[in-house]
Amino acid sequence: MNKKGVVIGVIIVAIIAGLAASYSSSPSETVNLDMGRTHGTISTAMGSPILGDTSAPLTIVEFGDYQCEQCYAWFHETKPAIVRDYIDTGKANLVFVDLAFLGRDSIPASMATYCAEDQGMYWEYHNILYNSQESIDNGWANSERLKAFAFSLDLDMELFESCLDSEKYSKRVQYNIQQAKANGVRGTPGFFIVGPNEQQQIGGAQPFSVFKQILDSMI
Amino acid sequence: MVQTIKLVYSNFKYVVLASTIFVSMMIGLLILSEYIFLEPYVVAHLPSGSELGFLLIVLLSALSALVIPMNIFRISVLKSSKQKMGGGIFGSIIGTAAGACSCGPVGFAVISTFGSVGATATAFLTNYEIPIRIIAIAILIITYFTTVKSLKVECKLNP
Repeated sequence: MNKKGVVIGVIIVAIIAGLAASYSSSPSETVNLDMGRTHGTISTAMGSPILGDTSAPLTIVEFGDYQCEQCYAWFHETKPAIVRDYIDTGKANLVFVDLAFLGRDSIPASMATYCAEDQGMYWEYHNILYNSQESIDNGWANSERLKAFAFSLDLDMELFESCLDSEKYSKRVQYNIQQAKANGVRGTPGFFIVGPNEQQQIGGAQPFSVFKQILDSMI
Repeated sequence: MVQTIKLVYSNFKYVVLASTIFVSMMIGLLILSEYIFLEPYVVAHLPSGSELGFLLIVLLSALSALVIPMNIFRISVLKSSKQKMGGGIFGSIIGTAAGACSCGPVGFAVISTFGSVGATATAFLTNYEIPIRIIAIAILIITYFTTVKSLKVECKLNP
């Protein structure tokens, strides 16, 4: 009886030790992700937080790469007017989904945005990246610079560095890249305007007039 | 120089060829560089700061349209060596490749197909798009002058 008890005890201890080891070696995502969040045919569960009113009738899903110069152009030329006329007025909201493919620093840059999200600063970090973009892989988005951006936002550096260095959000970014491919996105920036009953795809950094025409027709 | 151009382009076939090269190359490059979009609507868009890129595309297309028919004339009419066509074609190709491989569909396809090698090539062609286009234009200008010079000799035109 005693022997049996020892064996059971050893098994329980082993299971507990195994669970503890698995949790400590692969950090799980602590953000409250809505795993069922979809917009049209796109699973945006692993994408950015929603910018704007979550109950807005239309959603703009942007697939982008932080090193893409066309995304930079869209961010500066078209997005401000969309935010002013559609997002700030509650007519639409926006979700950013990573299609990080251009260079070796693209994926770390995307991961860094989610490390900033852990501290409630996703969109601030996103904006810093698009305001700081330089040539592809010239070092502007290397690990040190990504940490410097976090420092400039006054983030908790210990938390941010451990998140970035452990590649905590690697799978999240990979999931987003898969979503882009599954939905036929073949370059950045790529957009879907998703309404209650339909969705429309827009490829490239198109001008505000194109977005306005589509958004107005779907409202 | 004017005599040489008149000699080649007095044949209407070469005017049509030059026009075709100019229009197709310019529209193709403007689409690849995302100055023109075909879907969901046909729309032209020139973002601020991209004026130089646009100007280089126009120059590249115009020079290709001028130089390539002249070289074809030399090969078909004067039975010259096809190797001498190289400069015009080379200049056009590197000028085109510079704009094609960015974050658009071509760059995405290249990186998806060739992995890190494709990504390195794409990054190079994107980062150095403007200098590469300027080099391509320089190659086309040199090719133009060498073609004019050799046409003068081969056709025994008066200077």
